[in-house]
Amino acid sequence: MDHFLHSNIALFVLIQLVSLLYIVTTLLYGAHFFMENKPAGRYKQPALALTVLSHVVYLGLLTSLEGYKLSYSTFNIMSMVALTLAITYIFIEFTTKSDKTGFFVLSFSAGAQIISSIFTAQSSGSGPAFSGFGIGVHLIAAIFGFSAIAIAGLYSILYLLLFRQIQKNRFELLFQRLPSLEVLERLTMHAVAFGFIFLSITLFAGIIEQKASGETIRLFEPRLISLIVIWIIYGASIFVRPITGWDLKHMAYLFIALFIFITALILLMTIFSPSFHGLVLEYAQRYFKGAYI
Amino acid sequence: MNIISVGVNHKTAPIEIRERIALSEVQNKEFITDLISSGLAHEAMVLSTCNRTELYVVPAIAEVTGEYLKEYLIAYKDARKEVRPEHFFSRFYCGTARHLFEVASAIDSLILGEGQILGQVKEAYRIAAEVQAAGILITRLCHTAFSVAKKVKTKTKIMEGAVSVSYAAVELAQKIFSNLSMKKILLIGAGETGELAAKHMCQKNARNIVITNRTLSKAEALAEELGTGKVLPFDGYKEHLHEFDIIITAVSTKDYILKEAEMHQSMQKRRLKPVIILDLGLPRNVDPDISKLQNMFLKDIDALKHIIDKNLERRRAELPKVQTIIEEELISFGQWINTLKVRPTIVDLQSKFIEIKEKELERYRYKVSEEELRRMEHLTDRILKKILHHPIKMLKAPIDTSDTIPSRVNLVRNIFDLEEPNQ
Repeated sequence: MDHFLHSNIALFVLIQLVSLLYIVTTLLYGAHFFMENKPAGRYKQPALALTVLSHVVYLGLLTSLEGYKLSYSTFNIMSMVALTLAITYIFIEFTTKSDKTGFFVLSFSAGAQIISSIFTAQSSGSGPAFSGFGIGVHLIAAIFGFSAIAIAGLYSILYLLLFRQIQKNRFELLFQRLPSLEVLERLTMHAVAFGFIFLSITLFAGIIEQKASGETIRLFEPRLISLIVIWIIYGASIFVRPITGWDLKHMAYLFIALFIFITALILLMTIFSPSFHGLVLEYAQRYFKGAYI
Repeated sequence: MNIISVGVNHKTAPIEIRERIALSEVQNKEFITDLISSGLAHEAMVLSTCNRTELYVVPAIAEVTGEYLKEYLIAYKDARKEVRPEHFFSRFYCGTARHLFEVASAIDSLILGEGQILGQVKEAYRIAAEVQAAGILITRLCHTAFSVAKKVKTKTKIMEGAVSVSYAAVELAQKIFSNLSMKKILLIGAGETGELAAKHMCQKNARNIVITNRTLSKAEALAEELGTGKVLPFDGYKEHLHEFDIIITAVSTKDYILKEAEMHQSMQKRRLKPVIILDLGLPRNVDPDISKLQNMFLKDIDALKHIIDKNLERRRAELPKVQTIIEEELISFGQWINTLKVRPTIVDLQSKFIEIKEKELERYRYKVSEEELRRMEHLTDRILKKILHHPIKMLKAPIDTSDTIPSRVNLVRNIFDLEEPNQ
């Protein structure tokens, strides 16, 4: 079985390049944050723009193998999560005028992209592709939803770190460089709000698509259960907080736990079950038998 | 041409000596005018602040040395009983330049990187210029010092971060709340410390500042000065505690003015929205148990000093960068001073060639037309410019030591047969 990357040199080069660019961009953001390296500060934003651009080209080329339809393999979705995180971060940097959290967000993006690259290189195809408006909305909303969960988790970590430094009178690097607690709280809650919206769309688009296709969905599928649990918690934190006055310090632990849980779940299922829900079981069986080659 | 600096500062003398030797603006003008008019100095400037009184003098006669200037200042202030020459430092030539550059860059200040000193150096120069005591050397020295200070400010972080308790309080508040203009601030105590903190808050766009004080009129006066106009009676402010995001206390009291139970109640009313209490009082004004409350940031003077210490540490780490900037400027200043020594030779050289040119042209004045004469003059000017370019360049070229200047000057003077300069 000939590997699909071997027959497509441009794709092979791009997948390596995108991972490399993520690493370089993350290092530049890190050098600027931790060492205040001036050249790093100068080149980090162009590097991020180049990374995102290369990633878009890579995904375009990858989906071109299936007639520009979205591929549904977990590792391709990881790659799209990396991209949406990077794009979301650009939006955050642009709107808050703060470039101090880039290292933390982009580290996760780089990690997701590297894992995706490794699994893509090991798989024998670009994954089953799906067409149709409903499934497209479901997939894109899920990717953005996970990105929102990641951002809420990452900013919650930063919030807690800064909170502890202030409480313990340790006015060190994070105190100096991170934006204020209020900004971190706002970013976290915006991510939670966006996460809730996208997860809602994911759920409803999934239900509608399932009804339309007449296929059965495994209700006890771990990702589905996790999705519903996170959706409920996010919804509660948005709607209950203003009434009861939940403080972000405690909510932050919850957001971090949810982020770690969903990331671990996706990683584990990527390794042991490279298909989503029960919907793609059939595709997956054919896929592993080489029917897609 | 030498430039001498002598003076007392926080490194050489205690405050009572510095106070005794300090000069007011009127005394400053009188002192430097005396120095110039008595023929002791070509140029003079006095920098007198709360931490230093320093003279910068270009002597007119060899007798005016560092020791002479120390005695002169002590005599002027009639301070022989208290002040001795040992309380002074003295610097010469490039040492003077280095000292002024360090002073202007605020690395010689009591508080490293403080922002006031540059303005004070500019003021000292303004006074010297006003009484026409600042000549070519002091003017160049001061302008280079201003340029050094500007570079240090823009290229290093020597002036970043709070180094006073009241400013550290504001820095901390900004790490919790992003926009102080949106926050409601209560200032308990309208004394000097509270006033300073409130002013720093105002500088960071805090607008909603309410003041309470035992003497209401004092609170009203400060509120008016800050432009907020909001005061609360001292016996009723506790009913409003829940309304405030930032509470600054700076009162003199034996007992805590804010207790845990009161703040607990206030936090419940606020639905746990974060609050910062900045306790700037000594002894402390706020019950330390309050810090255990959820979303409560209570910081006293000791905690704020942690911020100051960290900022000073960061400023100290910038010192090598500042020294590099000073070194660079010192080299170019030294080279400029050296060009002063060769300037008479350059002038003589140019004069000699212009004289030759004019003599030669004079011979042709009535033999050629005006147009031809003008062309010849233009041509000879160009030739002279090219001939003189290299000798002048050689004279002005950077040197390692000032010892090589006389040999260069002598060489040019001998080759071109220039007369000995007037001493």
